[in-house]
Amino acid sequence: MPATTENNQSSFLGRISIRRNQVMSMEGNHDQELEDLELFQKHVGDRFADLLSSTTEDPSSDALLSIGWLRKLLDELLCCEAEFKAVVMMGRDPSQISKPPLDKLLPELLDRVVKSLDVCNAVTLGLDAIRNLQRLAEIAVVALEPRPMGDGQVRRAKKALHSLVTVMVHEDKECGSTKGTERSRSFGRRGGNAGNKDRVRSLSWTMARNWSAAKQIHAMSSNLAAPRGGDLTGLALPLYIMSTALVFVMWTLAAAIPCQERNGLGTHLPFPRQLPWAQPMIGLQEKIAEEWKKKEKKGSVGLLEEMQKMEKVGQLLIEFADSFQFPAENERLDEVRVHVEELADICRKMEEGLEPLQLQIREVFHRLVRTRTEFLHVLDQAGKLSTPTV
Amino acid sequence: MDKNLDEHSNSFPHEDKENNTNAADHTPRSPLLESEDNVVDGDGETEKAGDVDNVEREAGDEKKEEENEEGVSFEDTPETPPPNLEKLLEDIDKFFAATTYDNNDNNEEMIPEFVDKFLYLVEEKIARYDSNQTKWGETVEEDSLLLEGVNRVSKLVKFLTTIITDFQSGEEEKKEGDEEEDKKGDEEEEKEEKKIKKNHSVLLNRVGAIQQRAMAYLEEEFRLLMEESRIQNKPDSSHDAKGKHAATPEPSENESAETFMDFPGFKEEAVTILNKIAREMLFAGYDSECCHLYAVSRKHGFGDGLYRLGYERISMEEVHKMQWESLEREIPTWINTFKECATVWFPGERKLAASIFAEHLSVADTLYTNLTRVVVFQLLNFAESVAMTKRAAEKLFKFLDMYETLRDTIPNLDKLYPEEIVYEIKAEMTSAKNRLGEVAVLIFCELENSIKSDTGKTPVAGGAVHPLTRYIINYLRLACEYKDTLEEVFKEHSKIERADSTSRPNYDNQSQNENQKSNEKENVSPFAAQLTRLMELLDANLEGKAKLYKEVPLSCIFMMNNGRYIVQKIKGSGEIYAVMGETWCRKRSTELRTYHKNYQIESWSKILSCLSPKGLNDNGKVHKPVLKERFKSFNALFEEIHKTQSTWVVSDEQLQSELRVSISALVIPAYRSFLGRFSQYLDPGRQTEKYIKFQAEDIETYIDELFDGNPHHQAMVRKKA
Repeated sequence: MPATTENNQSSFLGRISIRRNQVMSMEGNHDQELEDLELFQKHVGDRFADLLSSTTEDPSSDALLSIGWLRKLLDELLCCEAEFKAVVMMGRDPSQISKPPLDKLLPELLDRVVKSLDVCNAVTLGLDAIRNLQRLAEIAVVALEPRPMGDGQVRRAKKALHSLVTVMVHEDKECGSTKGTERSRSFGRRGGNAGNKDRVRSLSWTMARNWSAAKQIHAMSSNLAAPRGGDLTGLALPLYIMSTALVFVMWTLAAAIPCQERNGLGTHLPFPRQLPWAQPMIGLQEKIAEEWKKKEKKGSVGLLEEMQKMEKVGQLLIEFADSFQFPAENERLDEVRVHVEELADICRKMEEGLEPLQLQIREVFHRLVRTRTEFLHVLDQAGKLSTPTV
Repeated sequence: MDKNLDEHSNSFPHEDKENNTNAADHTPRSPLLESEDNVVDGDGETEKAGDVDNVEREAGDEKKEEENEEGVSFEDTPETPPPNLEKLLEDIDKFFAATTYDNNDNNEEMIPEFVDKFLYLVEEKIARYDSNQTKWGETVEEDSLLLEGVNRVSKLVKFLTTIITDFQSGEEEKKEGDEEEDKKGDEEEEKEEKKIKKNHSVLLNRVGAIQQRAMAYLEEEFRLLMEESRIQNKPDSSHDAKGKHAATPEPSENESAETFMDFPGFKEEAVTILNKIAREMLFAGYDSECCHLYAVSRKHGFGDGLYRLGYERISMEEVHKMQWESLEREIPTWINTFKECATVWFPGERKLAASIFAEHLSVADTLYTNLTRVVVFQLLNFAESVAMTKRAAEKLFKFLDMYETLRDTIPNLDKLYPEEIVYEIKAEMTSAKNRLGEVAVLIFCELENSIKSDTGKTPVAGGAVHPLTRYIINYLRLACEYKDTLEEVFKEHSKIERADSTSRPNYDNQSQNENQKSNEKENVSPFAAQLTRLMELLDANLEGKAKLYKEVPLSCIFMMNNGRYIVQKIKGSGEIYAVMGETWCRKRSTELRTYHKNYQIESWSKILSCLSPKGLNDNGKVHKPVLKERFKSFNALFEEIHKTQSTWVVSDEQLQSELRVSISALVIPAYRSFLGRFSQYLDPGRQTEKYIKFQAEDIETYIDELFDGNPHHQAMVRKKA
């Protein structure tokens, strides 16, 4: 687990334990609770503001939707989640969680959690597919790096780049419409007609049939309603914040990383404009949605920054390969060297970043499972308390 | 060989010295360069280029070509190039051996002339394969000759690349030291070197292009072989691909075990060829291509296999929302798939990778790991999502089945996975296992609730076995078939509970109770303790239910019925008997006897008092009205008991006969002796008929009608009356 999460948790737990003691003296903990809520809102706002600013102000930091940025995003989600649990669950009388409006809101959140798990899984499969793309790009890098550059290498690179670009488009199309394709896809060329040069086959494992990332995220956000009136100061608010963060992160993951069926992912998430903590999230969402719109027109693969770059550089290198003649002129070689280095750099970033990202998504997965279990347990307790046993 | 080398070293200086520019190199000057131009032609046209090449060459070297085709060997004439590929391979090997042997700078320049011939032959061979004139697999010799040729091409690429890079770095060094050196004297030499370098890079370009073409061909061949091999595996079992539940579990299990025993079902010769191709591709540095092909093909192969096993991916949400009846059916499929993977497929997959990439086991491991890790995770996700469904008593056994599957696989993981990855897989699998275990414990503990919450106020008619008793006891009996697993799960779970001590007040209380109890009785496992607690709860509940009966003897019968049922069931199952223990059973039997006694007292003491001689004898005289009264009340009481108690239910035959026997033993001798002693005091005839309604035999018959749950017996009594 990244250090940031650890720190955040430990500092927070310290504060919580103080609160826990105060709960004992039922009096005067209301103020403390309000303070906790306010802090939680502030922290969430700050965290996402960081993510937003890292994309605009500092060019050296991780670019929007890059692997590094996504890892930060997941870190923030994990922090939010830890703090959320501390605010809502720890040291609290179970009956508080089971009464209105939480009796409805909490099950809704837990339902979103279940849906998020599927998104996590779909994205994990998507990362597996990206790793295959990385392998293709690496071929091009290996082929174009050594000097002197000859026809063989260029052809080798071209071949790899062509399949890279085709697979990217294909992967996206496949991910965009799965209806009825799963069978034919998984069985490939069943007839075994040798000589069939159609090598465009999906690199990713499929989720369940008819599963759709877009639908899933839509279902997660459709019943997301901001609390009003008195609920704004109660436990309904942290539940809403957590739900919003969860929906946002899952939406972003699905937009960045290829995953099954993403048509309609571009629709806006219903985030509340009037609440200050949501502003950075809205900012991010607008940016990403804009990217998504561009993408939809161009029909390129997911928004992951490294993949976008990979596609661009890939195209440039294909152009170079198409016009290559041995022996190459030095200027051209210098020119192409820049691109190759760029591609090598992307591959390196993927090599270093994809595995940790995958592990992190798995961590989110386990954390969500655990949290859900814990909440259900609290609800059980509440249930037992309310129905006296004989 | 030496001769060749010498000749060749002479041949280079002949070439045009003015040609220093890189670009304007279009006039063919040597066979080396000539062929070069053709190869440059373009990507898609390699074949054509090869043909053109052939034509040109045929024109130029007609004689050689003919000789070559005839297979005549010309090794002793240095002017004629060695005509057959085998010989050339040897020559090249010798050349490499020589150059690596004394690796000094001057040797680098001397590329022997036969290299050209060799390249020409290899290229031609590749072209023949590429254009399908020669088919792969027709003759093993041809195929391996091709691979040998490709191997030498790769060696040449490496060799030339080294020379050129060395030269380049040497040049750079030279540049640095330029100032001190005598420029004029070096100039000639430098020109010479540059030219050689250029020739080398031209040659490298040609060799590289040949290599690329060969690799592209091998790649395709590799891919086809991979695909064919997995398609071959298909038809045998395609019939159960139609529906996932098409086959009944039992036969399909056997069947699939047979079909996939040698998963993934690659033929041995295919593996040999794949290995050869992979070796050459990896040697040539085309490892990424080879691995990519392999990974993609196996992914689809494995996916098909899973589908054929009837395993279909279900999203976690779907599982979460599924009706238990449907989910219940998915679980055996999952277990079957999981076991199949862990015991047959994964080892098979690993073996396949290790055979094809035999010379690069780390590559094989990576490929295998990347493939199966995804599969494992998907399978585990199902387990996780099953554990997330709403808890219900009926799910326990299926959960435990899954738990056992995971538990039994975990110790084998060390054999299944390379060290670097085994930790992660183990952690994931253990997590899923624990989740199932935790839920199993919770479900089992929730039986307490279902006992406690069974608070119906209507007593079971006739004091029969209560449905709750049946349910709980049968459930526990079944649970005890999983005794060892439950013991384990309970132990593991209490560990987990201790590990995260977040607010779980209720359970803490429970485990405290448990601890107390286990202090009292040593060596009681948490599971046995829980089982005992459930029994106690059930007893308490039954006692409450017994109080619902208005008649005390009926509540005794109720307790006896239920108690008997419990003891019988527990004695009937070795597993649960082992947990509950002999002492417990003996204690229960004692309790049953107490109820029996109580029943006798409550039910029969009054009637027996009618038969007591006490109070009848007044100074040796029998008081007739009292006697009459005694007979009357005996008859009435007996009729009443018969009427009610024949509607009571004792379905356990043994208990029923025990009761009847004990009642008979109590009543009949007393009645018989009462009759024997006092019937004489009644006037024979009318009076006797009126007061002695039953003979001893009748009493016996009527007692045998008790506890039948049969209300029609009362009619018989009335008739008789």
